[in-house]
Amino acid sequence: MSELTLQDVRKSYGEAKVIHGVDLAVKDGEFVVFVGPSGCGKSTLLRMIAGLESITGGDVVIGGEQVNDIAPADRGIAMVFQSYALYPHKDVYGNMAFALRHAGEDKAVIDERVRKAADILGLQDLLKRRPKELSGGQRQRVAIGRAIVRDPEIFLFDEPLSNLDAALRVQMRVEILRLHQRLKTTMVYVTHDQVEAMTLADRIVVLRDGRIEQVGTPLELYHHPENRFVAGFIGSPKMNFLSAERSGDGTTVTTHGSAPIEVPVQPRDTEGAVTLGIRPEHVGLVAPGAGDLDARILVAERLGGETFLHFDLGDEGDFVVKADGAATHESGETVGLSFPPQALHLFDAQGAAFAPRDRNALIG
Amino acid sequence: MTETASSHRARASRLRGLSTRAGVHMVLAGYTLIAIFPVFLVILNSFKNRRGIFTDPLGLPGEGTFSLEGYATVLTQGDFATYFSNSLIVTVTALFLILWLGAMAAHALAEYRFRFNTLLGIYLILGIMVPIRLGTVAILELMVDLNLVNTLLALILVYTAQGLPVAVFILTEFMRTLSRDIKDCARVDGLSEYRIFFEVVVPLIRPVLATVAVFSMIPIWNDLWFPLILASGDATKTVTLGVQQFIGQYTVNWSAVLASLSIAILPVLGLYALFSRQLIAGITSGAVKG
Ligand SMILES: Nc1ncnc2c1ncn2[C@@H]1O[C@H](COP(=O)(O)OP(=O)(O)OP(=O)(O)O)[C@@H](O)[C@H]1O
Ligand SMILES: [Mg+2]
Repeated sequence: MSELTLQDVRKSYGEAKVIHGVDLAVKDGEFVVFVGPSGCGKSTLLRMIAGLESITGGDVVIGGEQVNDIAPADRGIAMVFQSYALYPHKDVYGNMAFALRHAGEDKAVIDERVRKAADILGLQDLLKRRPKELSGGQRQRVAIGRAIVRDPEIFLFDEPLSNLDAALRVQMRVEILRLHQRLKTTMVYVTHDQVEAMTLADRIVVLRDGRIEQVGTPLELYHHPENRFVAGFIGSPKMNFLSAERSGDGTTVTTHGSAPIEVPVQPRDTEGAVTLGIRPEHVGLVAPGAGDLDARILVAERLGGETFLHFDLGDEGDFVVKADGAATHESGETVGLSFPPQALHLFDAQGAAFAPRDRNALIG
Repeated sequence: MTETASSHRARASRLRGLSTRAGVHMVLAGYTLIAIFPVFLVILNSFKNRRGIFTDPLGLPGEGTFSLEGYATVLTQGDFATYFSNSLIVTVTALFLILWLGAMAAHALAEYRFRFNTLLGIYLILGIMVPIRLGTVAILELMVDLNLVNTLLALILVYTAQGLPVAVFILTEFMRTLSRDIKDCARVDGLSEYRIFFEVVVPLIRPVLATVAVFSMIPIWNDLWFPLILASGDATKTVTLGVQQFIGQYTVNWSAVLASLSIAILPVLGLYALFSRQLIAGITSGAVKG
């Protein structure tokens, strides 16, 4: 049994409150990713689960047992750190065997488990090397191997890939995913990279300033962000936001002098201005006058497979449209932008999203 | 044309690199000469008789001047074996205590957050600014009260106190730079705080320990002040104090003085050789990370 439950978990350093009451239930075998901007408390929360940071308030429950005052080594967890944290004076084998040796495990058992982990990660030929004789990717693999050897109920990862270069990061991401499929152990993974979060997670937890903004599967967060912060954080390039005025029954809006646009959301009584959101990949490009808005292209970024068109829409700053790689639009050209209604999101002045009329209507 | 120009440039820059390097080596060689010359002179003259020392201080020992009388005096007169072992016991024990206590204090200051952490740190390193000799009278009174006068323990305690501030200061600064993750990882691996210190932290700070050891060792070995005041009895004399018996009020037995000084260099050299590999690693560890 290795569910993990957080109940109103709080943390303060003296006067400074860092975590403001987090509730979360992680199911057995689930891969959960904590994501959020720098300083939002991801590492702190993870270290509290590990037992490396004291808990100011609330409960951490692992496998049905409250572990607030239990030492890290007795929580059935293993942790992989961003800086690898290998013991520099021990070779790869010594690093992986260290915890078991310390626990007084049988020599033959240790050997078998170290070799098995080395097999999984392709470290068989490196067992006699010292950490300083390894590349970054190999070091990270040893750090993961060290966690596997302990056969934990829960794996904790704190930005394990952020010290690797881009190509290696993609490769290690796949390896971690395969590791999860193979071991089927509960994993909690911290990152500030939303691509890592989208590709790895069964469920994503979006954190901001020590609070959970939203919890859901990657596609739920992508299609139904509950607020403007999550909408802007998930997806790349990020969602475009346009200030808008409401008219009619409140779900029809106009923006930048456009014709009224009907947004398929449930009507709600709110005061103040609203914001219209649409992702770059959902904006349609049409002839001038034929869309909802006309705008002039500032810059066209050609990446080969796709083209990013940047527009200047007054006070909104950058407005990005993701177009086909074969698009022939040039900077300076004026085009029409069309907004498919199902792809539109509407946020009130506080940033909370209007609920969609039909939650299952995903955009194709 | 461009080819010759570029090869020209390459040669010029090679030459420039060579001349810089030669300059650096000359300065270093000069410094080494100046530093080693007195030591050389001491050893040289320890192999001469009195006449040889005074008529030709810079000359090599030769016929008529070569003599081992200094060494003979040292080894037969007085109790130099005892003085040596006294010096060694005091230096090694004090060094051990300085490193042990200093590293533990530094670990506590660098690793744990507790009330008065900063205040305690300042208190521990305050001794850097106050020469311990200022407290000689108080120390003497204390040792008299404790019945420790004329014991090696008195010297060991004083030297430990003398060496600790610098040791705590250097080690704390270095330990603050150790990665927090590696200690946390050991915690997750189930090590107690003591074993984290001995099995994870100490191996990581070995080069710095060697540096601190060398810097603390020399003043202890060479000290004349405290042995003279606290342990001048015959059984507790150290080498530096023992040498004084050859320096009489009217005559100085230079051969014997120089011979004993020459012998006194040996243990320091031995200890230094022990630490030096680590020391070099310590000096360069900041520059070339790896
Ligand atoms: N020892 C400490 N004392 C006081 N404040 C701290 C301490 N450790 C962390 N904090 C604060 O807690 C907040 C959360 O820190 P945390 O390390 O959890 O952020 P993070 O989400 O992991 O960020 P990053 O993505 O940069 O790693 C930060 O604002 C930080 O300043
Ligand atoms: Mg962090």
